[in-house]
Amino acid sequence: MLAFSIAVMVVVQAAVMVWAIAGLGLWLDDGGVLDAQTFEDGFEGDAAFSELYGFLAHGIVGMTVIPLLAIALLIVSFFARIPRGVTFAAITFGLVALQIFLGLFGHSVSFLGALHGINALVLFSVAAMSGVRVRKAVATPAIG
Amino acid sequence: MRLRTVIPVAATVAVVLPLGVMWQRSLLPDHYDMTTMGYADYGGAPEPHRHHGTPVAELTADPDRTADVDETFRVRREAERITINGTSPGPVLLAHVGDLVQVRLVNENLADGTTLPWHGIDVPNAVDGVAGVTQDAVAPGEEYDYRFVADRPGTYWYHSHQVSHEQVRDGLVGAIVILPAGQGPSPLDVTAVIHQYDGTKTLNGREGDQAIAAEPGDVVRVRVVNTDNKVTPVWTTGAPYVVAAVDGTDLHEPTPIEGKRVVVPAGGRVDLLVRVPAGGARVEFPGVVLVLGADPGAAPRPSESLDLLSYGTPADPGLDASRPDRAFDYSIGRRPGFLDGRPGMWWTINGHQFPNVPMFMVAEGDVVVFTISNHSGEPHPMHLHGHHALVLSRDGVPASGSPLWVDSLEVGNGETYAIAFAADNPGIWVDHCHNLPHAQEGLIAHLMYAGVTSSYRIGGDAGNQPE
Repeated sequence: MLAFSIAVMVVVQAAVMVWAIAGLGLWLDDGGVLDAQTFEDGFEGDAAFSELYGFLAHGIVGMTVIPLLAIALLIVSFFARIPRGVTFAAITFGLVALQIFLGLFGHSVSFLGALHGINALVLFSVAAMSGVRVRKAVATPAIG
Repeated sequence: MRLRTVIPVAATVAVVLPLGVMWQRSLLPDHYDMTTMGYADYGGAPEPHRHHGTPVAELTADPDRTADVDETFRVRREAERITINGTSPGPVLLAHVGDLVQVRLVNENLADGTTLPWHGIDVPNAVDGVAGVTQDAVAPGEEYDYRFVADRPGTYWYHSHQVSHEQVRDGLVGAIVILPAGQGPSPLDVTAVIHQYDGTKTLNGREGDQAIAAEPGDVVRVRVVNTDNKVTPVWTTGAPYVVAAVDGTDLHEPTPIEGKRVVVPAGGRVDLLVRVPAGGARVEFPGVVLVLGADPGAAPRPSESLDLLSYGTPADPGLDASRPDRAFDYSIGRRPGFLDGRPGMWWTINGHQFPNVPMFMVAEGDVVVFTISNHSGEPHPMHLHGHHALVLSRDGVPASGSPLWVDSLEVGNGETYAIAFAADNPGIWVDHCHNLPHAQEGLIAHLMYAGVTSSYRIGGDAGNQPE
């Protein structure tokens, strides 16, 4: 469940970003003027358009919810005797850490932002695969 | 069997225990003295001698002098806005060089309390207006007198330094204009306070285009004050502009600029001079415009920025920084951790996270060099209270234009600036990021003079919370 919930949160992350960008486009079409202060005010609770909260949600989910899930997954994997479960949980945790790094430094090196998008797909895949392995391990009685 | 239990438990402890220790260590006490936290950094020189202890509260302007400018600022929260004497931005505080300025701050109803620092003016430490460092926050119904001498002409501003990330955002801001002695105010001398309320960009509190009555041939001085947390670009259409002053200090032999924008850091000011042509001119900001005379119509905004480090011509800056008494690093990073128990990605100073940040220790008379570098992924508008700093270099390339004195310096990610100043204003001076939520996220340190003792505490009964 934990592994799948990480995969689901990655989907949520993609969804809120596109929602926010779509809202931004509509607001600009309405004559809105965008600069860094627009975001700064949004993060402080004064959003110029409601979809701006999508960027805020992306930051909160990405920097607190998903890392907490990844730590929880790692701890659970120590106890759950899933074949290579710890390895998969550790890789998931590492990809989350990499994703946060790419996300934050994507603010200054746009190329890293592109990798953030690609790494999201890798993270989704590994988290989903981890979840599938749990299902399989539960379905097949543990050997030995 | 036992090993099968022990290993997961041990692994869990190995993950959870360091997190628990980090969390516990990050908790801040209910109240603390800014000067007893972190660690002392002497800037590569011996510890300065402490003669006698002068409390911050005693570092005041001459108490016997009569005020030349005497104002009362009544601060009030009205729904989402904070007003000063009924308006936001507040009234322009106008003074002349040499005046003793006295402002009585009256907090009508701000529950958190409030303070007023005088951004860019090198005031005595006791009226620097930083809650918990130079005074207690002024509680609702109470008042506080600020007294300082307007020592140099220029454009400055006042704002809150108590829960500043909220109070400044909600409008507790206003411009200060100090004119040369004997010079009267002029309709061609205009302040342009840039502030964003609830996502709406405003100039002097109003949206959209604003007209200034000017005739062809008039030279209009536009005093731009960026009260927001991020840079604002400014450029002109229809006429070139001259950047006459930055952060209150005139530049040496500045030249007319066309087709470039000048980028004003958060908290920073620039004074632009525009000679109005027959067709009029526009001074443009994102979303707001000052129209000088006739309206020449909008043009595409320039994509290139003016580099102030090579603008104007060199002159003697009056400060020899070639052999500083102390040299400090102020290296800004970011890492995951806890701040007062809250998990997040927090700013670091020289690799340390708040409150374990360096205290920069100086003695009066020192020439001090700071090397500010930024590896944090985001830009930071760095602001040192109580001093003007001379920009020496950026990324190792020496400044080649006019001496550039700043109090608010935009340090982009990956950039390194060297700045110098004379330690000539004893006190405890905060040195922080003027993207105010960043200060709240731990990007705040302070400069500490030998022989000065603190008078106030962060937190405590006054609820002092400067960021």
